[in-house]
Amino acid sequence: MRYFLSLPILLVLFVLAGCGRTPLQEQQAYVFGTRVEVLIVSAEPEQGRQAIAAVLREFDRLHRAYHAWQASELTELNAAIAAGKPRTVTPELAAFVGEAQALSRQGDYLFDPGIGELIKLWGFQADEFKAELPPPGEIKAWLAKKPSIADIVIDGNSIRSRNRHVALDFGGYLKGVALDRAAAILRSQGINNALINIGGNVMALGSKEGKKWRVGIQHPRQPGPMATVSLEDGEAIGTSGDYQRFFEVNGKRYPHLLDPRSGYPADHTQAVTVLIPAGSKAGTLSDASSKPIFIAGAAGWRDMAAQMGIAQVLRVDSNDRIFVTAALHRRLEFIGQPPAIEIVP
Amino acid sequence: MKAWLALLLPGDWLVVLAGIAVVAASVPIFWQGGMADRAIIRQEGKVFAEVDLRSRKQFEVAGPLGNTLIAVEPGRARVVSDPGPRQYCVRQGWLMRPGEIAICAPNRVSVQIAGRTKVYDSISY
Repeated sequence: MRYFLSLPILLVLFVLAGCGRTPLQEQQAYVFGTRVEVLIVSAEPEQGRQAIAAVLREFDRLHRAYHAWQASELTELNAAIAAGKPRTVTPELAAFVGEAQALSRQGDYLFDPGIGELIKLWGFQADEFKAELPPPGEIKAWLAKKPSIADIVIDGNSIRSRNRHVALDFGGYLKGVALDRAAAILRSQGINNALINIGGNVMALGSKEGKKWRVGIQHPRQPGPMATVSLEDGEAIGTSGDYQRFFEVNGKRYPHLLDPRSGYPADHTQAVTVLIPAGSKAGTLSDASSKPIFIAGAAGWRDMAAQMGIAQVLRVDSNDRIFVTAALHRRLEFIGQPPAIEIVP
Repeated sequence: MKAWLALLLPGDWLVVLAGIAVVAASVPIFWQGGMADRAIIRQEGKVFAEVDLRSRKQFEVAGPLGNTLIAVEPGRARVVSDPGPRQYCVRQGWLMRPGEIAICAPNRVSVQIAGRTKVYDSISY
């Protein structure tokens, strides 16, 4: 009789165990001047904690080593460039400069990590900034000097510039690199299911116990997402928006996405989201490839996306119109009423 | 015709139709990722408070720049004031739906709405 009773009880226990929570570990921190979120699925909490700690340590190292306006290896290189001298750097920094240069060239230098002086002129290289336009004369003077990452010459680990006004700033590149690093670190520690978010650039590893990781795409003018998308293993998604860093003067918004051709912020676009297929550079591309597409504007964004090799793109223009490439549109899921969308082949 | 259909009067049909209409109309209102039931306030990325969204409370959260003031009201939460220079998290206004988040990055404070079910795991912004 006792056995007879315990069988259903055992069954109930097994079923309830199935309802148990996913062994999900979550940690948030602030690095790169933004919020970092790491979610991992691991049956062993200690293994998970160690893996997350290793990822955050690497983020912190990258942030410190390549900070654009606080003393770092990068500011030392920029000082050497300003002095017209070559400088021997670490193999890592030489590789970053080379990769950033190649990505910039691919995007017709619309996204140019060599325009640090212009970014500083606009006050975006600061933790505190004031809502103040730079004097037009100074922007003109900067344009006349034509600094670009194209001027950089890399010879092994030695770096010099043909133009002393080049100042490297890895904002728009480094967070993407960090995503790829995080993926490599987690996988090397046996964590194959994770979601990493660095300031809105998100990389998915594996799944959440068989369920795909689902990521929202922030609406540029509303508090929530305009759509969500389920990511496959190794895919990354990134958004550039005029709402992330900007200031307003006389009711006009001046976002941090500067067009190196005019010296002024691009004002035709609210946001560009790119979804990158799995690959060793998926994270890097999720950060760097949205910028030239953003800056290219209404007439050029679609061609620029093709030129960058990015098939899945969503763009919101300054009139709140949403354009999505067909390749991304079929993957979007909407919460409630879908917004009006123009599908672009 | 089935016999029971004869028992339904025109008024009954009106009630049935009205019921369908009310359900249809409420779908976009409630089908927004489940019901929000709490606000999660974080300090330096760690949970500072999990607040039931039926309550009405204010929280002062200390960060590297000073105090961020967060208000929770029935069904919603927002950042009232923040010492950060750009004020994006304050300007985001009331958050109501699960997943919505306001991040005061300079002061390392965030507030996020959560529900019983998670509609999405993270957000690209």
